[in-house]
Amino acid sequence: MVTVLIVDDAAFMRLSIKMMLEANGFEIVGEAANGVEAIKKYKECKPDIVTMDITMPEMTGIEALKAIRQQDPKAKVVMVSAMGQESLVKESIISGAKTFIVKPFKEDHVIQTITQIAAM
Amino acid sequence: MPGKYSNEPMLEMYIFETSQLLEQLEHAIIICEKVNNYSIDAINEIFRFMHTIKGSSAMMLFNEIGSLAHAIEDLFYYLREQKPESVDCSTLSDLVLEGVDFIKIELEKIKAADTPDGDPQKLNDKIKAFLSLLKSGNPSEVELVRPVSNKQQQYYISPDKKADEIRQNRFRATIKFNDGCEMENIRAYTVIHSLIDTANEVFYIPEDISENEDSVLWIRENGFEIYFATEENYEEMNRFFMQTVFLKSLDLVQLENDDEFQQFNKPKKSVIENNNEIKMPQIERAINKEQTIKEMAGASNQVIISVNVDKLDKLMDLVGEMVIAEAMVTQNPEVKNLELENFHKAARQLHKITGELQDMVMSIRMVPLSTTFLKMQRIMRDMCKKLNKEVRLEVVGEETEVDKNIIENISDPLMHLIRNAIDHGIEENDERVNKGKERVGKVTLEAKNSGSDVLVIIKDDGKGLKKERILNKARENGLLEKNENEMSDREIYNLILLPGFSTKESVTEFSGRGVGMDVVTKNIEAVGGSVTVDSVEEVGTTITLKIPLTLAIIDGMNIRVGNSRYTIPIITIKESFRPKKSEVITDPDENEMIMVRGQCYPILRLHKHYKVATKITELTDGILIMVEQDDKTCCIFADELIGQQQVVVKALPAYIKKTKSIDGLGGCTLLGDGSISLILDIGGLTNRLT
Repeated sequence: MVTVLIVDDAAFMRLSIKMMLEANGFEIVGEAANGVEAIKKYKECKPDIVTMDITMPEMTGIEALKAIRQQDPKAKVVMVSAMGQESLVKESIISGAKTFIVKPFKEDHVIQTITQIAAM
Repeated sequence: MPGKYSNEPMLEMYIFETSQLLEQLEHAIIICEKVNNYSIDAINEIFRFMHTIKGSSAMMLFNEIGSLAHAIEDLFYYLREQKPESVDCSTLSDLVLEGVDFIKIELEKIKAADTPDGDPQKLNDKIKAFLSLLKSGNPSEVELVRPVSNKQQQYYISPDKKADEIRQNRFRATIKFNDGCEMENIRAYTVIHSLIDTANEVFYIPEDISENEDSVLWIRENGFEIYFATEENYEEMNRFFMQTVFLKSLDLVQLENDDEFQQFNKPKKSVIENNNEIKMPQIERAINKEQTIKEMAGASNQVIISVNVDKLDKLMDLVGEMVIAEAMVTQNPEVKNLELENFHKAARQLHKITGELQDMVMSIRMVPLSTTFLKMQRIMRDMCKKLNKEVRLEVVGEETEVDKNIIENISDPLMHLIRNAIDHGIEENDERVNKGKERVGKVTLEAKNSGSDVLVIIKDDGKGLKKERILNKARENGLLEKNENEMSDREIYNLILLPGFSTKESVTEFSGRGVGMDVVTKNIEAVGGSVTVDSVEEVGTTITLKIPLTLAIIDGMNIRVGNSRYTIPIITIKESFRPKKSEVITDPDENEMIMVRGQCYPILRLHKHYKVATKITELTDGILIMVEQDDKTCCIFADELIGQQQVVVKALPAYIKKTKSIDGLGGCTLLGDGSISLILDIGGLTNRLT
């Protein structure tokens, strides 16, 4: 089963992603509410895929992405972005994010993205 | 939202989280307004709150809330990026608070399963107008549109590979993305970003994908065209492109010659350099951030989960049932008179654990009053603005905790009392100066523990209550039961709590027509609390709400009268004793009293009061229990004490309450042997007697 770590400061978003993924046979091995936690959880859970919100307190998703990629250059991180954050998404891609999903996202989009990234 | 799951938990979470964010937001704004300055941290925070609300609302298809959140987010984005010097803090706060209110109203609709149909358009326009005013007020600042693309040709060359390498395969790929996948330009950028690992020369159309937002439209229409040279073969490249997320169609063609490449022959610029330019400030920011992270890391480690309140209520009920079940087992008549040493040991252990379990469940349900107090700050602010008074709110002991159910019941009364204090209590600023008081009025909101109660005190330093006016008004409305001359100050002040009492002739928007104070009393009494009023003319008024810590389980003394059982809350009992005949006094009105250590106390015969048949009618045959509440004492006469037990308070069924309002009953409970016991409301009983 593909394991996923969900990083988002909004509990609502975590729940949304979690429900979508779990309904489609993914296993959520951890959740984190900010970048610092995300790095810690990544070490602990070693997930196949991380979904990473960009705008978060304490440490943004991009900084967390960089730290995780430094720990594990093979880490597969999917950014979760809002409309209008093009430049931040671009920065994430440069920093090693595999791809991104755009809020508000639909279930099939999320599943398609994660499935494809998992298969890489 | 279609899916294989119900979206109810998501809706619940949405409502929960959004309300929480709104509360924090409100708090942040009020703090900023106080110091008349929006700090960078605060702006960041508010931006994030709005960003989250925007995202969640869009997910739930609450587009009106989303659009408003978006407008506010934009506003704070500008503030964050441009840091304009002159910002009208007061207007800004008003705008955002208005937005908060709008979302709150919509949330209420959502909670009530209505459609959130409010139209934020006007407010959005206002926010936009404010934003453009800000922009025009700071003309020196750069317009905050993302840098306009400089139409320059974009292409990449892998730095470590030379373009004119041997055995170059040249390709043209045309990519189309799935409809509705959004940010196609950045998706195209993602493809290019991974392509430069394998390809040596890369050109693409449209060129300005990451700078120009219009490129999205172009890609949607015509697809994204890439020309590249690589050492890999066709299959390898095909596999590479098929990995693209949201790929709708791929048209990959191997080119025979480099004719098509010629069109891109323009000055070259390495992407790596470009990147470094972009990244520089980011790195700096990251370093700054790192320090703050270290400082904040401690706080973030707290592990908290949110639980549905219904589940907690259920848990509380279950623990209550268990307490009863425990009593049923350990006090079972079949084992009562047996010598069972081990059984009693085990029973004691069980008792200890149920006790601890109970305490734990109670503590889970306890919430600090701080959120309620926070709300008051907002009310205070709005009132002061409208009435043009300057009043300071001092909050003491907001960390005091009370049961969740109680919090819900005291919010409205508190709001009313605060409004009263500002509207009626505190004088106009100038008037205060004339009186020699501090110009700015002060309202203190204090909470503290006192035994098994929590006291919430609302104190103002305004003009105080006028005894004469209260008495006159009470007389007019026929509310006086006692002789005026015999009434204590406190009794006079407490007249204002009676239904239909109002000393304020004129009605204002906030404090209404005096229907409030008795509603306050009702609300507080509904949770088993009481209200007292103290006042000194020209010095101020203090209103004290006394609220029990928790409603659910109390320590009770069970007593018997005839075949009926009653339970007296242990905390009200001072002593119990069998009286001597000589101590009993009867006054001319046939009221019985008892003399204890030189003090006279009235006696209440429960069998008479509730008309219960019993053989024990002589005071010397039964037992007297001295109880005290609110500084009033009396002695209750019962047949015998049964024993002390923790009891679970159940409200009297509605039909009993309706048919007959029974004096002095606080509820009922189940005893260990399954019989029902009525819980006495000592406050009600002592009030009747004295």
